[in-house]
Amino acid sequence: MSNINGKLYAMNAITPMKPWKTWILRVIFFLLWHIKSKQQDLINLSFIQFARWVIIPRNRFPSLSSGQKQETLTYDYLLFFSNFNGTWNQYIDAFSAVLSTGLNLIWRWSEKFPGSVPVTGFKEYIARIQFDTDYYYTAYPEATANDTKAAHIVQGALTTLATQAAAQTPEQFQAAYLQFLLAVQTHLGDTGDAPAVF
Amino acid sequence: MPNQNGRVFGLTFLCPILDDETLQISHDLQIRDYLATLPTDERSPFALAPGTHVARLVVMDDVIYVGMPAHEEHLASKYLVFETNTDADLPGYLRTLFDAIPQHIDAVWSHCTGYPGTADFDKLLAYMKACQIPTTFFFAAVNDKSVTETLLALQTQRAVAEFITTHQGMAPAQLQREFLEFYQALQSLPCPAAGGKLPRRVIKTGGHNE
Repeated sequence: MSNINGKLYAMNAITPMKPWKTWILRVIFFLLWHIKSKQQDLINLSFIQFARWVIIPRNRFPSLSSGQKQETLTYDYLLFFSNFNGTWNQYIDAFSAVLSTGLNLIWRWSEKFPGSVPVTGFKEYIARIQFDTDYYYTAYPEATANDTKAAHIVQGALTTLATQAAAQTPEQFQAAYLQFLLAVQTHLGDTGDAPAVF
Repeated sequence: MPNQNGRVFGLTFLCPILDDETLQISHDLQIRDYLATLPTDERSPFALAPGTHVARLVVMDDVIYVGMPAHEEHLASKYLVFETNTDADLPGYLRTLFDAIPQHIDAVWSHCTGYPGTADFDKLLAYMKACQIPTTFFFAAVNDKSVTETLLALQTQRAVAEFITTHQGMAPAQLQREFLEFYQALQSLPCPAAGGKLPRRVIKTGGHNE
């Protein structure tokens, strides 16, 4: 069992919601999905590779056979899965500092949510609703979200340079190469082993 | 389409785990025991089946009680949560798992209620559809690249850094010639193994700013 693989941390969290509040949250997610500018803070944080929220209505837990006991739940549930870089504390601190408005909008419909600020109570709540990962895989364990973004920028710039290179004079190539260096110089950070986490 | 963001799919499954009180080791513990033996690097089952960016398997024992005045309640079944971020939708992705790692699918999901086995793909697909929970909101930092494209880009990034370091101050004609050779060689490199470590870059220090 490990929540960590390389530079990635897997967080699982589940919170109960009164069913009538679920619909409000669905509307919020609908708006968040369609108004891309509202995702900008999440994008700018740039240490989340993938994240998702999943609402499970109380009567929609999968029932696969007649022998399976039926769920008799009164709450709908909000599941949150995140794949982020850095430590648990860094993640929650950054979430609280940068995304407090958005987080409150999403979790305020969950029972006993204390608000994302101040961060101490928020961390206690997250610790209570979190459950651990049994198996965790990533295709690129040594790369952070920023590493993958940077690598794709380098790949794109290199392809552009290469498609022109053969037809250029040496002087034209040198000028294009210098422009290439300017474009990629901040995207050449090395990947490698994850730092030890304490 | 909340299950999809750009070209990446976010698939979520909750598979009820068998409950048999006569067993010495319960099904959920047998799943955990098996998962604990699986490698998480390039030998991972998900590395052998292409198209998985990130995946997790979690035994969810129960829902969580957050305290008064909330109502305390419990699940009747334990659930295996399968959360995966992939290059393909459910039928396409499941087909790659079905073709590449049926023994691992059987070893894990044979402890789940209603699991039909891997003898018939259509039955397996119907089972996974029954277990799928629509993702409500799905975020992907990079949503327009496949696993292969990302692994190749990381390889390119490392090679480019090395090329730049070793070709500083070179005459334009030689630089152009060596660049074209470098690019051709780079194109012929195989894609690095998913889930594995990348070769280390030798970082030279002692430049003007040190």
